Amino acid sequence: MKRTTQRKIISRMKMFPSISGVATKVLKLLDSPDSTATQVEQVLKQDPGLTANVLKITNSAYFGMPSKVGSVRQSVVLLGWERVSKMVMATCVNAIMDRSVPGYDLPPGELWRHSIAVSVTAEGLMKELKMAARDEIFTAALLHDMGKLILGSIVKEDLDSIKSAAEQGVPFQIAEQKVLGTDHAEIGGQLLESWSFPSELVSAVRWHHEPDSDPDANPITDLVHVANVLCLMIGIGVGVEGLHYEPSPSATKRLGIKPTQLELIASQTLEWANELTDVFT
Amino acid sequence: MKYIVQVGDMKVGVKGDEIVTHALGSCLGLMVYDPVAHVGGLLHAMLPLSKINPQKAEANPYMFVDKGVPCLFKEVYNLGGQKERLIVKAAGCGSPIGKNEMFKIGERNYTVLKKLLWKNNVLLKAEETGGTISRTVYLDITTGRTTIKSGREERNL
Repeated sequence: MKRTTQRKIISRMKMFPSISGVATKVLKLLDSPDSTATQVEQVLKQDPGLTANVLKITNSAYFGMPSKVGSVRQSVVLLGWERVSKMVMATCVNAIMDRSVPGYDLPPGELWRHSIAVSVTAEGLMKELKMAARDEIFTAALLHDMGKLILGSIVKEDLDSIKSAAEQGVPFQIAEQKVLGTDHAEIGGQLLESWSFPSELVSAVRWHHEPDSDPDANPITDLVHVANVLCLMIGIGVGVEGLHYEPSPSATKRLGIKPTQLELIASQTLEWANELTDVFT
Repeated sequence: MKYIVQVGDMKVGVKGDEIVTHALGSCLGLMVYDPVAHVGGLLHAMLPLSKINPQKAEANPYMFVDKGVPCLFKEVYNLGGQKERLIVKAAGCGSPIGKNEMFKIGERNYTVLKKLLWKNNVLLKAEETGGTISRTVYLDITTGRTTIKSGREERNL
């Protein structure tokens, strides 16, 4: 990696706004089977802005509550712990991810829309494939492209070289590696690591373009990989690199997906993504 | 008036209108134009065959090539377009790189389109399909000019 590029990446990582400590605590509570609604409420109380947003989202048309919900505890009881924690995570990163990403040619809101779409697609695939429910899938998919926010301006400067490298027939992240010495998936993984996120989430983000390289052979990584390519194909969050990624045949084999299942999920993705995106507008 | 066609949607227009669709990846963009009546339409279809999700196809035929293409032609006829005068152009139908056949939805979209057109004796006047790029298409209903934009590059189709 060029020294100047390396310095720029490190400085951008340091300057990157840290995710709310509350979100990290919420993730930890999610890991524990003994967590209670009261505990969640206590953690959320540390961040009144976040509490207000959780209540706003709970009361949105998306959830169709028969009456106004006035407390986080009530939200957890009515919506279930899992859904509230996803909403907390999404609320925490919404402001960071809603901006434009110039180097990747993503207008304001497009990275957010893509992230939400990949989350609902990955969850949809999990259900379609009748896999055991894994709550981390939503968060892993939601955060998979965080590295693009850090690399955006750096990629912009070297875009012509990265494009020429990609034209040699290699996937875009490999072209990034050739020119920058790293790629957006690796940088996203490093960012989540610095936030002390669970290792499964870090791996899923780090290997979302190269799931065969994930040393833990984590099914979450495979799901995020497939969901990401599918969302790009249907034009959600497709940027400067277009479809210049390589879906892994081993990942689809490991998951046991049939082409009809992939198309069925594609036919539902837009509706799911629009419903959830509306909650945050 | 300017119309924007979302994924799985279709719009028709008359003289003075412009129809745009963004981010065609593996989806099919089909443009139909009658240069005499100055009417036309643009379809942005996502998947090849509606049998994958008949309920969805019932609610939104434009999501599927097999249902959306006939609907596009019918709507253009309703505005006064005539089959023998129609100029038909296609864009999109891209695919990711590699050999994973499951993700060749773009190629399957293109195959279903060609079969439909062939059965109905319709020829494509121009096309820019395949590859890995994302395309935005503009159809000017006054002149019939069709423009494709991909990143910073722009060209006529």
